[in-house]
Amino acid sequence: MKIFTKKALSGAIAIALLGMMGSAGAVVNVQCKGDTDGDAVIDSPDPDHPNAKCMSLIAGDSFAVMSDTNPLYIFGFGDQTGTLPENLIAEGILDAEWSGPTIELDQGDEFWLNLTNVGTVIRPDLFDPHTVHFHGFPNAATVFDGVPEVSVSINMGATLTYYYNIVEPGTYIYHCHVEATEHMEMGMLANLYVHPAQDALGYDVDGSGAIDATELAATQATRKGGAAINPEGYVYNDGDGTTGFDMEKALQFGSFDSDFHDASLFVQPLPFALMEGNYPQINGRGYPDTINQAPLPAPVDDASGKVTGNPGELLNNGTPTQLIDSAITIDRAVEGNRLLLRLSNVGLDRFWTLTAPGLKMQVVGTGARHMRGQDGKNIYRTTASVNFGGGETHDVIIDTTDVAAGTYFLHATELHQMSNKTQFDGGMITEIVVN
Amino acid sequence: MRKLLKQPGRLMGVLLLGMACALPWTQSQAAHDIRGITPQADGSFNLYAFPFNMNLPEGTSLYMWGFGDMNGGTGATHPEGVGYNLPQYPAPTLIVTENQDVTINMTNYGVPNPVSIVITGHQVTATGGSPGLVTNSSENGQMVSYSFTAGSPGTYVYHSLDGSNPGLHAEMGLQGVMVVRPADYDAVTNRTAYGAGTGTDYEQENLYLMTEIDPDLHLQMEKGHFAHFTNKDRYAKVWFINGRVFPDLFQGDYNTLFPNQPYESLVMAHPGDKVLVRNVNAGQDSHPMHYHGENLRLIGRDGKMLSSDGNTSDLGRSDNTLNSAPKQSIDALWTWTGKDLNWDIYGHDTAHVCIDNDGDGFGDEAFGSTFEHEYCPDHGKVLADLVSLPGVADLTLGGWWSGSPFLGDTGDLPPGEGGLNPFGGYFLVWHSHAEKELTTFDIFPGGSLGAVVVLPPAIAIQ
Repeated sequence: MKIFTKKALSGAIAIALLGMMGSAGAVVNVQCKGDTDGDAVIDSPDPDHPNAKCMSLIAGDSFAVMSDTNPLYIFGFGDQTGTLPENLIAEGILDAEWSGPTIELDQGDEFWLNLTNVGTVIRPDLFDPHTVHFHGFPNAATVFDGVPEVSVSINMGATLTYYYNIVEPGTYIYHCHVEATEHMEMGMLANLYVHPAQDALGYDVDGSGAIDATELAATQATRKGGAAINPEGYVYNDGDGTTGFDMEKALQFGSFDSDFHDASLFVQPLPFALMEGNYPQINGRGYPDTINQAPLPAPVDDASGKVTGNPGELLNNGTPTQLIDSAITIDRAVEGNRLLLRLSNVGLDRFWTLTAPGLKMQVVGTGARHMRGQDGKNIYRTTASVNFGGGETHDVIIDTTDVAAGTYFLHATELHQMSNKTQFDGGMITEIVVN
Repeated sequence: MRKLLKQPGRLMGVLLLGMACALPWTQSQAAHDIRGITPQADGSFNLYAFPFNMNLPEGTSLYMWGFGDMNGGTGATHPEGVGYNLPQYPAPTLIVTENQDVTINMTNYGVPNPVSIVITGHQVTATGGSPGLVTNSSENGQMVSYSFTAGSPGTYVYHSLDGSNPGLHAEMGLQGVMVVRPADYDAVTNRTAYGAGTGTDYEQENLYLMTEIDPDLHLQMEKGHFAHFTNKDRYAKVWFINGRVFPDLFQGDYNTLFPNQPYESLVMAHPGDKVLVRNVNAGQDSHPMHYHGENLRLIGRDGKMLSSDGNTSDLGRSDNTLNSAPKQSIDALWTWTGKDLNWDIYGHDTAHVCIDNDGDGFGDEAFGSTFEHEYCPDHGKVLADLVSLPGVADLTLGGWWSGSPFLGDTGDLPPGEGGLNPFGGYFLVWHSHAEKELTTFDIFPGGSLGAVVVLPPAIAIQ
């Protein structure tokens, strides 16, 4: 039994919206400097905005499958950059991703983030607006801070464009802030990080006050055209190379409470007070799915037919939703020794402590800022574990120079978090393979 | 403000809706200090412990144990605290000076359990009462005196810790904050956290005290079922900032609507103000407190300045979410400037000039700038040239949305929308990022959802 088809649904929603709002409302309006056709892809760069970057996100719903085969109903963001506006709602329906699409930016970018609300078709009784909160954005103005109680949020069928001038490198988070407890538990969470200008500019090695050609050649990051022997990138504008890394991986730690998601699916009162995550995950998957480098297959119903009544039925019209892996393999002979982990915590009900037995971590940044004191001295902390709560981010560098080759496990030290509900050896674990 | 001044009737109306207590009418000093009480002339506080009931906005009532000020606010730091003598949640904020000899005389007038006081980071001598496990405690009617010398400047927690079940006391409400000011502190001329020259001066000072409560436990205590509570069963369901939950926490200090919860947590600042946040967790669970708008620079922890040499606060890192463990405190500075947004926050069509006299990039009112601390490089840049907002029919509007993206401006809103932000301030929420904690007993929004409002420079802060 097919319960939904996209085209019919988008038509139905369009009709419903017209009926609800009158002819004035519901405008898909993607804004992006240098884009001529509204797909958020820059066609002819605008000379006034040479560093423009654009993205077209949808906010909607879909399913994600936990690593013990339990399908959970989710709200989420989906990347529809490249989709023309007239197709955006049809393509965006049932296409929410878990975790949301990663946003990667460079310092100096101007970023147009278009958020189109495609509605929650599995819950047609809901009319929830959505937002993007750029968590940690410096000097945020209310209008683009995405907190609905004090700002604006976007209704179904329409687009809100956020404008961000990107000036601070570091590791952030983005998430929906509407009915924050519900929408975040339901999965509207994602990685966001900003590379520093130092990647392209290099830094002043001899303290002369300027970066000469020799210094540029020796320090420009590989990701910005520098020599292969140079660091792939830097975490911050450190001026001394101490945040240089050879490989990076963004890991977002969160957890789903399956009772909450099932209550949402079956239109029941939501258990806020009793919320307690039982599916700890990294980048939207529990172990061992964390180390599967491919997108997970499209979600299917479980053996009991929980969602549709038909065991094994394909959900989401066959659209995969869990696209991001957490597998890490560093080939030191090729890449180098220094591994950057951009750790972010989106837990809603508890703290976690992470460790990687056999590896030392150096924390070089927190909350999207370089760990440097007022007097200019680095105050990095070398540790075997990181304890953090929801909303905290840590930039951690693991130097593998003196580490034996092998597979290392990064996991929660709260060992019961290493499970997918009742299934052991799952949850908050991933592997770091050092070759 | 332009549109606002044309609409005095609307302004009056929205103020009457409840913001009157939070936003001042009259120009007084443009600075906020933490509300609390200072010692009597002999260095003493006289507290009592007493049970009370406290209302929550979703309609329930919680049975509490609290400390109250037996001196009735004669040592209150602010006029509105004079005469206040109720048992309160949290306990009175005690404000003392480093090296000051302090005595807290505490009498238990009705809490059905021995009550005591311990203070983080302080060695306290207790006299009177009954000896207990960690200190002397007060059975019903007894007085205990706790004497100590105030330690280094900073923020400390005090709470009860004794009796047959020590885990009960802070949970039931017997906890509060002690602020130690530096010896050279002056409320007007030397507003610093750790003393002149330490790099910890500030304009606004605010307490962010986190606690949480398990209502079932309070019900058991109300019924007198003391043996029914076991620590492992504690499961918090209500989360507080300064003893109140959203939206009560915006409603003004000593608001009589909340007779036993005197402290609000709405922070007010002007662009460029240094806001000292004393981030304290007096609860039993850790909380990640997230500050919107800008990062904070950490300057102290548990009453110790973060310093390599003891002279300046040079060791603090920066963060936007503070990992707050039970009974720990973090002092941090937060400043919002609007710098580098790349559009004029006052609106390009507002007649204003930006004159930066000292070369720091920010406008100086004394030299003709219309707005103090406007970021001049963004002056005159047109937001509408970058991006346009959808029409109101496509938006859901928050109660604190002014109707305009610009600071100090208000826009036209549909009837019944907005209205809680008459000055066109920028509200930025400060809240627990364990989002479960934004609920009050299963209801969203509630719990520890506070905010700062950045006000246009012309609006005074009391």
